[in-house]
Amino acid sequence: MPLRLRLTLWYGTTLALVLVSFAFVLYTVMAQALRAQVDESLEMAALAMVRSLERHPLGSLLNFERLSSEFSDLVTIDKFFQIFSPTGKVTIQSPHIQARGISLNSIALEAAFAGKTVFQSVKGSSANASLRLVSVPFTYHKGRNKAPLYIVQVGTSLDPMEATLHRLFIVLLITGPIALALAMAGGWFLAGRALRPVESIRRTAQNIASGDLTQRLTVKVTPDEIGRLVETFNAMIASLDASFREVRQFTADASHELRTPLTVLKGETELALRRPRTAEDYRQVLESSLEEIDRMSKIVDELLFLARADLGEVQMESVPVRLGELVKDIQRQADPLGREQGVRTTVSRVDPAVVRGDELRLREMLTNLVDNAIKYSRPGGEVEVTLVMNAGTAHLSVSDQGIGMDHADQTRIFDRFYRADAARAHSKKGTGLGLAICKWIAECHKGRIEVQSKVGEGSRFTVVLPLDPLAH
Amino acid sequence: MRVLVLEDEVKVGAFIRRALEEESHAVDLCPEGVEGLGYALNRTYDLIILDLMLPGLPGLDILKKIREEKIQTPVLILTARSQVDQKVKGLDSGGDDYLTKPFAIEELLARVRALCRRGTGESRGVLQVDDLILSPATREVTRSGQRIDLTAKEYALLEYLMRNAGRVLTRPMIAEHVWNLDFDTSTNVIDVYVNYLRNKVDRGWDRQLIHTVRGSGYTLKAE
Repeated sequence: MPLRLRLTLWYGTTLALVLVSFAFVLYTVMAQALRAQVDESLEMAALAMVRSLERHPLGSLLNFERLSSEFSDLVTIDKFFQIFSPTGKVTIQSPHIQARGISLNSIALEAAFAGKTVFQSVKGSSANASLRLVSVPFTYHKGRNKAPLYIVQVGTSLDPMEATLHRLFIVLLITGPIALALAMAGGWFLAGRALRPVESIRRTAQNIASGDLTQRLTVKVTPDEIGRLVETFNAMIASLDASFREVRQFTADASHELRTPLTVLKGETELALRRPRTAEDYRQVLESSLEEIDRMSKIVDELLFLARADLGEVQMESVPVRLGELVKDIQRQADPLGREQGVRTTVSRVDPAVVRGDELRLREMLTNLVDNAIKYSRPGGEVEVTLVMNAGTAHLSVSDQGIGMDHADQTRIFDRFYRADAARAHSKKGTGLGLAICKWIAECHKGRIEVQSKVGEGSRFTVVLPLDPLAH
Repeated sequence: MRVLVLEDEVKVGAFIRRALEEESHAVDLCPEGVEGLGYALNRTYDLIILDLMLPGLPGLDILKKIREEKIQTPVLILTARSQVDQKVKGLDSGGDDYLTKPFAIEELLARVRALCRRGTGESRGVLQVDDLILSPATREVTRSGQRIDLTAKEYALLEYLMRNAGRVLTRPMIAEHVWNLDFDTSTNVIDVYVNYLRNKVDRGWDRQLIHTVRGSGYTLKAE
């Protein structure tokens, strides 16, 4: 069921209940008030009569004409009276009561003997005629004798009151549903107006769900619940958009990185097959192919590593690692390789720093940094590795005197697949992922990696790691 | 044909150069954008092969600058990006054709032939002057249906002359386009090769097609 209909129905039902209770209360209160009014006027008439009878000798009052002139309001059309003698016989009656033939019933009689005033509703002789009666006892005091008991009974027809109540009932019966219908129509309209932005949000969301993340909700933003929903929604789409873009960029970069070795493999192989070549030519093609295959394997390995790292699936050990020994070890391995390019690798200061972590990963990180430094050094250059302890941290630095990079490159150098222009022109290309992996490893050890560099003068990569408090 | 290859991947550039040279083209190879633009602006080429991801200056910028300088040399764009909008951008910026890496070497060569054809208005994929026909795809040369066997350099020279049939080609122009070297006045290698070509193409025929233009160079035309 649509929300608009549901809201309107809920609202309508509640309003209907309120209206019915209101009508019920109104009707009841009205009926009671009217009855009380009738009773009061009856009683006043009866008491006035009693007081008057007590002042006059009984005999003189038993004449109807005199009585009528004495109590003019008793003769009005809506009231009648009768006086019963102590024997229970009607002594005197107003004329229009005679047709009704109301006798004194036992309840009234008993109450009268007990000296009480009593109200009664009785059916008149004619059909549907409801009557209201009040019976008031009174006695004549003749000297000291016990006086005989008379009963004055005044009555009136309830028909006018019931007609009033009936009219009220009809009015409520007609106006109630009309008010309800009007209110529900208004509710339907208001719910529709409040929900209109929701429909527009739904349509936009549908477009976005079908893949168009450039769309934003264009509903006019008002500072209400819907407005806040729109803002939140737009912010959510924006962050989704950004992360999708990132993923797309990463995929495009990854496929680009793999396309280059594939291009070389395909091109060189096809070229070799176009015509007969010498054994040396074939050999060169095969050697080059092997290089490209190694490059692709490395890219794939590193991509897998980063993918697993992103998913938190890479297990890291946490044992004390003596960084000093690691530094010397890597220098021993790197120096001979560097010398082939005319680059010396040296270690100057090595503090006995111990950190907690995964030795294999730390070794990988340092090897990456040193390899990079050698790769981008010029012949005759020097790569220097230092390890300095400072305020609870180990500073592991690798400096080169190579091509360096500008500030823009420095801010992005740790991004996946990012390559400085100078590095792209370099004959030996890496995978573009090495520094991203170094950064990840440093951060896994609660450390960070920084770079300082100047174009043409060289770069210094520094890894800052917290020392193992147990070992220091 | 003289071809400029702007490609930063050393190995890719190397095999493209080798493939083109085996097809008797003269090739300049440059791995850097700014320098590459200098080549394109200062020398005349019959074709430029342009990688879009060049360090120094992006390929698209090079392309726009070349076209701004009213250089109409056909440009074949190479790139590893295969998105449609990249292709559209490349072609709209003045590129004539597009090839996505990795590509088949035969396709590259076929596209090179097609682009070279474009400048000459040649149809059916062959060059024809009078009864002399040269087919760049098969590298076959015939005169009145008789096959003529040529060496690679002779073929390159004849193709250059035929593509520019009717125009006078100076010795420095021939040296640049066929030998890919700056003309050295002391060498007579061009005259020697023109003579070889005359012996194979014109000897024994009434109508001579290769003519010496005294003081300037050579031209190939039907009388």
